Amino acid sequence: MSKAIFEAFDGYQGIVDEIDFSRKHGVDYTVYRDSVDQQINLLHPSRISLRVSDIIVESPSTKTLRFVSQDGYLPPFLAGQYIAFFLEVGGVRTRRPYSLSSPPNQTGYYDITVRRVERGRVSNYLLDEARRGDILEGSGPSGHFYFNPVFHDRTQVCLAGGSGITPFMSMIREAVECGLDRTFYLFYGNKTLDEAIFHDELGRLSGRFQNIIYVPVIENPPGGYAGATGLITGDLIMKTIGDVADKTFYLCGPQGMYDFCVPELQRMGVPLRKIRREIYGPPAHIWEDPAWPREIKAEDHFRVRVAGGKPIDARAGEPLLTALENAGLRVPSLCRSGECSMCRIKILSGKVFQPAGVPVRKSDRQFGYVHACVSFPIEDLEILT
Amino acid sequence: MEAYDAVVIGAGNGGLTAAAGLAQKGLKVLLLERHNIPGGCATSFCRGRFEFEVALHQLSGMGTTERPGPLRMLLASLGVLEDLTFVEMKDLFSVSMTDGFRLTLRADKDQVISELEQRFPHEKAAIHQFFDLVYAYANNMLAAFFFKDPAPSREKYPVLYSHAFKPASEVLDEIFTDPLLKGLLSVYWGYLGLPPNRLSFAYLAMLLFVYIEFKPFHIKGGSQALSNAILNRFLSNGGTARFNGGAKRIIVENGAVQGVVTDDGDRIQTEHVVSNASQVTTYAQLMNRENIPDQVFTEMGGRSLSPSAFTLFVGFDCEPGELGITGSTNFLIDSFEFDDRIFSRMRSVDITGETMVLSCYDVADPDFSPAGACQANIVTLKYGEPWMRIPPARYHSVKFQCAESMLRRVEAIFPGVRTHIEELEAATPLTHMRYLGHPEGAIYGFEQYTKDSMFFQPGRYAPIEGLYFASGWIGDCGFQPTLNAGMSAAKSILKKLDAA
Repeated sequence: MSKAIFEAFDGYQGIVDEIDFSRKHGVDYTVYRDSVDQQINLLHPSRISLRVSDIIVESPSTKTLRFVSQDGYLPPFLAGQYIAFFLEVGGVRTRRPYSLSSPPNQTGYYDITVRRVERGRVSNYLLDEARRGDILEGSGPSGHFYFNPVFHDRTQVCLAGGSGITPFMSMIREAVECGLDRTFYLFYGNKTLDEAIFHDELGRLSGRFQNIIYVPVIENPPGGYAGATGLITGDLIMKTIGDVADKTFYLCGPQGMYDFCVPELQRMGVPLRKIRREIYGPPAHIWEDPAWPREIKAEDHFRVRVAGGKPIDARAGEPLLTALENAGLRVPSLCRSGECSMCRIKILSGKVFQPAGVPVRKSDRQFGYVHACVSFPIEDLEILT
Repeated sequence: MEAYDAVVIGAGNGGLTAAAGLAQKGLKVLLLERHNIPGGCATSFCRGRFEFEVALHQLSGMGTTERPGPLRMLLASLGVLEDLTFVEMKDLFSVSMTDGFRLTLRADKDQVISELEQRFPHEKAAIHQFFDLVYAYANNMLAAFFFKDPAPSREKYPVLYSHAFKPASEVLDEIFTDPLLKGLLSVYWGYLGLPPNRLSFAYLAMLLFVYIEFKPFHIKGGSQALSNAILNRFLSNGGTARFNGGAKRIIVENGAVQGVVTDDGDRIQTEHVVSNASQVTTYAQLMNRENIPDQVFTEMGGRSLSPSAFTLFVGFDCEPGELGITGSTNFLIDSFEFDDRIFSRMRSVDITGETMVLSCYDVADPDFSPAGACQANIVTLKYGEPWMRIPPARYHSVKFQCAESMLRRVEAIFPGVRTHIEELEAATPLTHMRYLGHPEGAIYGFEQYTKDSMFFQPGRYAPIEGLYFASGWIGDCGFQPTLNAGMSAAKSILKKLDAA
């Protein structure tokens, strides 16, 4: 077209006038600059700089680390959410998520509560090395394990195992400090009574507030122990809560607890939609998974080539993400449990084992993407990060 | 220093097709994306056992294998058709009103007309007149522009000349008397973001035409499948993609693109940049003011930011039929509004009588959600600015309150949905802002006034040599237009290189 024909369309002059007018009274977009990032950083900063302001010994194996913000601002969160720490431990850059145990109404600091775990490189570092005044980089609050008032019931039945107590501490503290109209049944399983973190505080709260019902469940109780013992069974839950109607069930703890408790809840008649499970890291003994290929041993090693680069060494029993980090590669991650999809990588050749139920997008499966944090090499691999 | 023939900033629809289109012709291309997945709006996310579709409601322009539409041809040219399965939606849309009114229109011209004739016998002649006009307009438009008539004239294309710049509601008022019928025929305004009194008839007519002629589609695996397929083709053609890191700066010297600095601080040498980011971000954040002619900001200043959206993603533990959902695309309506009152609703945070669209992909594709389950994406348009005034500490509770009011509106039409909710996630204008990087979370880019259509605006071109745009910000928004915009940007660069 030689000439713009639309100039002859009916109403053309009116539009030209409108353009003149709107430009004259228009928006000054030069001032927008990085305003989008600034606005989003108030809620979802990709990084926050945190200073250890206090270290509280909770038990011989557990400490609470209290953090204040370096720049004075802490983004809001929902009780139950976590933040990830970006750390360098033993020369390896890595990241670890920790649920916040302080309530969201406490806007001055974030608490995380860390328990010593066998071969827990990062946990042990935080327990043994972290000092008051240390500065750690963290992510903004994240995660989907929280009370959603739109469809959760106001009566929450919480099943915690070991350090899985932390998100519930945040929820319960918020409920009592803010006078929320919610009822908590907390079943807290531990091997021994000593291991029950926050046991005294929970006992006190439960004594003082009618809407907090605390039931510690001890697997190996001391002689003459009068409380609940063994595992958190359906019978114990039913005996305590009466019936399952109008209640939402929350679980946070190791895989073994889910394997035992979820069927118990279903046996009680709890529909799946009422059961909320917090993610809890990759399975510790993936080679014990029923679908694990028997010919592969946990100690078997495979070579992983990243985008044609030098091959690195990866152990079958260890998440691919860990191997990549150990080799000095920077792979972003947040939840390290298969949920957030930050560590999504493409497998160009070779096979990984992924436990059932890991939420990977359908089309990601089609095109060979996996979440490196819950993928275990069972062949030599070529990948794209 | 790393050097590329072209750098594409952003892996949204426009960025993906631009990158794939360039790599296909042998160019060395770097694609930068801030998020960890490709797609921009065209993505999905997982919660529990559900994978939620983020943005695609009805894909336009596909057509059938026998009678391919422009989008099918575009995707075929990129070589991604064989990687995707498209699902045709038999219905144009269903309308459900709080007063009990229900209507479903099939995606077929004769069936739309006969259904409307039955329901509105007093408007029989007007219905024919309206669809004749819509088709005449679309055919005029395609002949003049799509097929590029070298000698167009008012005599050849009378409807184009008379109706291109008319507001939709003016045309509806001229033809119809029944306000309900006017409402039904302009219900697609929500896909464009302007009330019918502000929206040009041209947009409405083209939208009805393409959906009826080429049918609305969905994709197996959702829009993420489309994004993944295009990225896959880009990678197999030698393209380089980097996720979790975008561009920090576009380097311009003497009025021409010289390179890009990434978020990681890497300096990349290139003479061509396709920006899939908004023009606001591209000019005001990624470039130095002194490299930009004043005209750019004067022109942009006359345009306003489109609404964002409040969206609920709900996973149900039952099939759609059990919830009473029988259509894929359901407009939920309290009462029809046509004028600026719609703006005041979109400018408030709370949700009361808003028009909303509920898409249930499982109706057309029973495999979309896990067996025995289904999902709904429920959206209403909301400007982002009021959300930016909410103190961060109040944000979550306001978000929950809005989700609650939206769910109540859904319950008024599909009672009992609440008892089947297994997963529920809400996205506010700030969520859209976070994931798209758009100022004020504007999902449609700039508002789609006639004055801001491609006739009057620079579109993909910039007064900086080597810089092109490919996104919903350059004119028309939506899947088909943005996928197309990327291809056009790629063609512009290839043409320039051919000429050199």
